[in-house]
Amino acid sequence: MQPTSKPSEPGLGSAEPRLRSRTFTSMGTVVSLAIPAAPGTAPQASVEELEAATAVVEQLFKRLDRTFSLYRPDSEASALARGELALRDAAPDMRRLYVEASEWRTLTDGAFTAERPDGVVDLSGIVKAHAIREAGTSLLALGLKDWCLNAGGDVLVDGSPTPGSARPWLAGIIDPENRSTLLTAFPLGNAGKHALATSGTSERGHHIWSAGLQAAPNEGFRQVSVAAADIITADVLATAIMAGGAATLALATSHWDVDVLAVKNDGGLLATPGFRNLATAG
Amino acid sequence: MLASAAILVVGWQAGTQVTASNASTVTTSAAGTTGGTASGTGSTANGTTGSSTPGSSGTGAGTGSTTGSSSTSTLGASAKAGGTYAGTAVETRFGTVQVQVTIKAGVITDVTALHLTDQEQRSVQISARAAPLLRSEVLSAQSANVQTIGGATYTSEAYLTSLQAALDAAHF
Repeated sequence: MQPTSKPSEPGLGSAEPRLRSRTFTSMGTVVSLAIPAAPGTAPQASVEELEAATAVVEQLFKRLDRTFSLYRPDSEASALARGELALRDAAPDMRRLYVEASEWRTLTDGAFTAERPDGVVDLSGIVKAHAIREAGTSLLALGLKDWCLNAGGDVLVDGSPTPGSARPWLAGIIDPENRSTLLTAFPLGNAGKHALATSGTSERGHHIWSAGLQAAPNEGFRQVSVAAADIITADVLATAIMAGGAATLALATSHWDVDVLAVKNDGGLLATPGFRNLATAG
Repeated sequence: MLASAAILVVGWQAGTQVTASNASTVTTSAAGTTGGTASGTGSTANGTTGSSTPGSSGTGAGTGSTTGSSSTSTLGASAKAGGTYAGTAVETRFGTVQVQVTIKAGVITDVTALHLTDQEQRSVQISARAAPLLRSEVLSAQSANVQTIGGATYTSEAYLTSLQAALDAAHF
């Protein structure tokens, strides 16, 4: 397959890592796993390793989707939403994630919540991040040291695109005003930040709600990216800042070791030092 | 070296807080006083002690300007050394502001507000705060060799025309 457009020129310098990736569809989006094509080994070895790892991750995503999807009438989440199942009778996975989401609601002053305005429990705001987290644990258990997992624009990495080096994975951030271009990029793995999550209005509509918190229109955000040590923190805070606006942004940057890049509704950018330093480093 | 040591003592007596920087080769903290003079203390990572003597105007007098004027006037001669500099606290129409300036090879690479008082007169720490960033400042990243693309969740249909799909296709 020949890509029609790429943000980077291939073959620019021999130091550029050679990667392989495999993709699958789950949770309404596309998940891709990339690993370095290790130079010292037979090419087929890394392909088989990648495809086996992708199969593990795919099974995990599909298992969680069967439990948590509100698009599947036969899922446990749908049974909960219809009131046919009480939370205390739900699977341990469901109860644990609900508790975790509830804790985040407290921590974010209600900006992140797992309950829709009509009272229905909806964990979709945290399920994908949970799946990414579980997948990351599995990849480490498989013995994979260098990998990059991207699920619909949320990213978790380990190691480096150049095995054995300190080189971080570089994640581009989409410009919500022109999705064929990047706003900037963030080095993942540096300073312990392995996860990047982005929340926005540009693709899946305005599906974010919050408990009583309403950002004023002039301080609202169009897209919020959060880099953190773990994908749950990154994802929850990105969603919370989208919902809660500038107040939640200030809360997040003062309470958690995160870097944030926010695109305001007027197109302006707000960035914490981690995103600024990259800009000045060119 | 003697002069540096003397300034070090003055800086100590002035109660200057020396802050350590993680990345810079030299870490210097300079604090201006209201009289327009300043003393600097040096905390060194590689044996160099930086100090600063700012101009007589600026830091204490700022009314309409915040980070710009106070940072420029606080840097002075030590700017060549490189490092992270904490300016003096300045009363401005925005409240009390103290800036931290990072210098590499004589060039300001970052200006961060260390603390200021908000409208309720509480002191707030904003060193990790998100501050405005110009798009022109990040345009260079367009040419960055990224390995993956972060963005708001795309649908499986939207993926087909996404930059991530192009990357995945390239990583066959």
